[in-house]
Amino acid sequence: MLPEQIRAELEIRIAEADHPQELAVDVMLAFQEAAGYLSERALETAAAMLKMHSLEIEEIATFYTFIYREPVGRNVIHVCDSVICWLDGSESLMDYICRKLGIAPGQTTADGKFTLLPACCLGYCDRSPAMMINRKVYGHLSRDRIDDILARFEREEPA
Amino acid sequence: MPKLIIDNLEIEVPEGTRVIEAAEKLGIYIPRFCFHHALGAVGACRVCAVKVLEGAVEGVQMSCMIDAQDGMKVSTTDPEAADFRRSVIEWLMLNHPHDCPVCDEGGHCLLQDLTVAGGHSIRRYEGGKRTYTDQYLGPLVQHEMNRCIQCYRCVRFYREYSGYNDLGVTGIAGRVYFGRLREGVLESPFAGNLIDICPTGVFTDKPSRYTGRRWDFERTPGVCIHCSLGCRTTVSARYRQVGRMEGRFSQRVNGDFICDRGRYGFYYADRPGRPRSGRISGQTVSVDQAVYEARDRLQRITEEHGPQAVGVIGSGRSSLQTQSAMVHLCRTTGWQGPVFRNTRITGAAADTAACALNPENAVSMRELETADAILAVGADPVNEAPVLALAMRQAQRAGAQITAIDPRPLEWPFDFEHLACRAEEIGEALASAAERLSDSRRPVVICGTEITDAGIVLQAADLVAGLRGSGKTAGLFCTLPQANSFGAALLDECNACAADLAARVEAGQIRALAVIESDLWHDFPDRPQLEKALEKLDLLVSVDFLDTPLFEKADIGIPSLTVFEAGGIYVNQEGRAQQVRPAHTGGLPITVTGAGDHPPRTFAPNVPGRDMPAAWVTAFCLAGQAPPETDAQMTAWMRYNFAVLSDLARMDADGVRLFAGGKTPIAHEATMPEKPEQCLELLLAAAVFGGEPMSDYSQCLRELAGLPAVWMDRADADRHGIAAGDRVGLGFENGEVSFVVRISDHMAPGVLVVYRHPDIDWQPRAGDTRYNIREDRIRRIEKA
Repeated sequence: MLPEQIRAELEIRIAEADHPQELAVDVMLAFQEAAGYLSERALETAAAMLKMHSLEIEEIATFYTFIYREPVGRNVIHVCDSVICWLDGSESLMDYICRKLGIAPGQTTADGKFTLLPACCLGYCDRSPAMMINRKVYGHLSRDRIDDILARFEREEPA
Repeated sequence: MPKLIIDNLEIEVPEGTRVIEAAEKLGIYIPRFCFHHALGAVGACRVCAVKVLEGAVEGVQMSCMIDAQDGMKVSTTDPEAADFRRSVIEWLMLNHPHDCPVCDEGGHCLLQDLTVAGGHSIRRYEGGKRTYTDQYLGPLVQHEMNRCIQCYRCVRFYREYSGYNDLGVTGIAGRVYFGRLREGVLESPFAGNLIDICPTGVFTDKPSRYTGRRWDFERTPGVCIHCSLGCRTTVSARYRQVGRMEGRFSQRVNGDFICDRGRYGFYYADRPGRPRSGRISGQTVSVDQAVYEARDRLQRITEEHGPQAVGVIGSGRSSLQTQSAMVHLCRTTGWQGPVFRNTRITGAAADTAACALNPENAVSMRELETADAILAVGADPVNEAPVLALAMRQAQRAGAQITAIDPRPLEWPFDFEHLACRAEEIGEALASAAERLSDSRRPVVICGTEITDAGIVLQAADLVAGLRGSGKTAGLFCTLPQANSFGAALLDECNACAADLAARVEAGQIRALAVIESDLWHDFPDRPQLEKALEKLDLLVSVDFLDTPLFEKADIGIPSLTVFEAGGIYVNQEGRAQQVRPAHTGGLPITVTGAGDHPPRTFAPNVPGRDMPAAWVTAFCLAGQAPPETDAQMTAWMRYNFAVLSDLARMDADGVRLFAGGKTPIAHEATMPEKPEQCLELLLAAAVFGGEPMSDYSQCLRELAGLPAVWMDRADADRHGIAAGDRVGLGFENGEVSFVVRISDHMAPGVLVVYRHPDIDWQPRAGDTRYNIREDRIRRIEKA
């Protein structure tokens, strides 16, 4: 489930690390990169690679917003719900996206195109409210701007 | 040492003391959820807020997070701090369910206490409460995550303090979840402590659900008798039966925690099959009748065949009262015994361990936690004396190097170096490992007595003496087979073992045996020899509170009282005599008299079933003497009649240390003969759950014993083409026994280890706790 070359590279880094645990996030992200999310089997494999208890991996995985323990859509929308964005109306924007896509936070659209999740601070407080899709952050959000951004994904579906 | 003022009271405390602890020394209890003196501070709950009026950092501070400093002035009653604490409680209650009336923690809940203390009674927040799905965590611990207040005590205990990692904390912020990765039985044999340590009802006692609330119980300080450590417990009794057991703090013995065998081992005391009336030739009679009949018939045999024709067998699970009354019985009648151990080899090891201890080399478990190097010889604390493993872990966390010399596949919850060798090689390995202690200042040598012999115990004691001679504060810590094996060693006068008496029965010299609270049937290694001896007897008298097969076979059966009804003094493995008070008045439990319904509305002057005497009373009666009338008189009698017990007068809350002085331990044979060729050495070893006669009666613990298994070294298994999980049959002289195979990479090659299990019918087959099994008698029955 992990490309052999990536796995070999990780094994080398783990062997060289003073504390293999420090690579837990890197290993999890590699699995996620390969499969879209961190599956049960990936969790166990990661634990075995790092010589950690699988519960310890689960603890880290569930702590971080950007590690997905369930399958997600092709594009993951994270709407910032931290305090500055919240002051600037992130709740109503989240609500707008929900209605627009017809899903609740934590859900994936029927066509598998979008998954909607909250995120804590994205570091865009100076351009709040903000959201992140895949790895790109969008600030100064308004309903119109959200329409524009999502329309881009409708048109040019990234490979 | 810093001197500070808390609430206008001055106190001087050692450097590094937290303000919350300094206040406690003044008698000021600052509220806390996450802080626990055994686990330290994390500052998670924010409820220990105080106001620092003068000091380096002024204002509202968490008293568990700041060190006491010179000149500091602290107020716990300042309105700002009190208001802060009140708010913390209010927000902890946002999500906490209002299920106190049906919660098993209700009545002994820290959150309940502090919510009342903080004055929070009206809910202002109108939002919903977050809820969780609970997990099945095994037969002992009930999970109810909705009640969690995120103090992290459970994971800190489970992971940091006790060293197991199958319980953890997942999620973040309002979703943190304390539990396992997947539902399943908690792996730690200390999991029951979660119940004590959780400040609210997330982890509650499962077997005792619906038996009573905290305020319903009579709560009595007790001492655990399920191994030789003598951990302190609190016994909760109701309606003439024990309902729940908790750990009780002891500065010297166990600290705060106990193991699950100790916590749940008490169910033998009130099980329906327990002997509660006398029995003569299978007929139920009154207790008095059985006692008089036994006395008369033993008397007759004495008159006909001489006093040498009667033997008395006791054990290390009896109280010091019973043991000394038995010695007195033999002194006055001239009967043989009492013998307190089964075989010479194990008896000699335990005796030697007790006699090797002196006021200089003895260390308590709390002192062991401060050791900087530990050498464990033929000891498996997790299985033989579980709480010792917790103490060793604390030493290891503080930097101690731990080395183990043992053939078994040790699985300890801390880092240690395992020198795996066969039991016969332990002495040699010990000699060469001794230099590992040369750089230490406070080394401790731990020595087991289950798989070792007296020679190894002496060698360990000599090593400690040598280390002390070179200026180190070295200590010796031996574990013993039973709770009061030390008392037996102190009192023993006859230098014999049960095997000796059995041989005399076979030779026709002994015609009657009085067996008092002995697990002979369970522990005597050579069952065929025992059965032959029992058949030959004219009279077998059994006095016990357990319905052992021996009690069933006895011509005369006399019930006795459990530690919960009779109390008693028990001497733990470091020679500490501890007094146990009765936890309830005794008599038939109301669950029995009422048969599940309301008890009968009859009025009688006596509690039904209270005519049973303690075993020591019976021993006096068998001697034809009147027993001392009260417990206090009995203790005085013991001090007067046994010089070695005279120090009992100095017994206080910490107990009193008794030492054997210059006593000579029972003689021991040479060590095991060399292993024959083409054989594997099969070793029967203690298990934390399973194999301890009393706790084996606890249904909830039997569930944890798993399947009977045999452990093999990987090389041995590979040679036989056996894989982990296979079912194999081991061919003994007297038949085959089947086991599931477990494979270890870190046990002694050439050794097979079987942990005691209630379902293994070992003794009739093997005839000893060690057995050389021919390699061609190992057969795979089923592949995994």
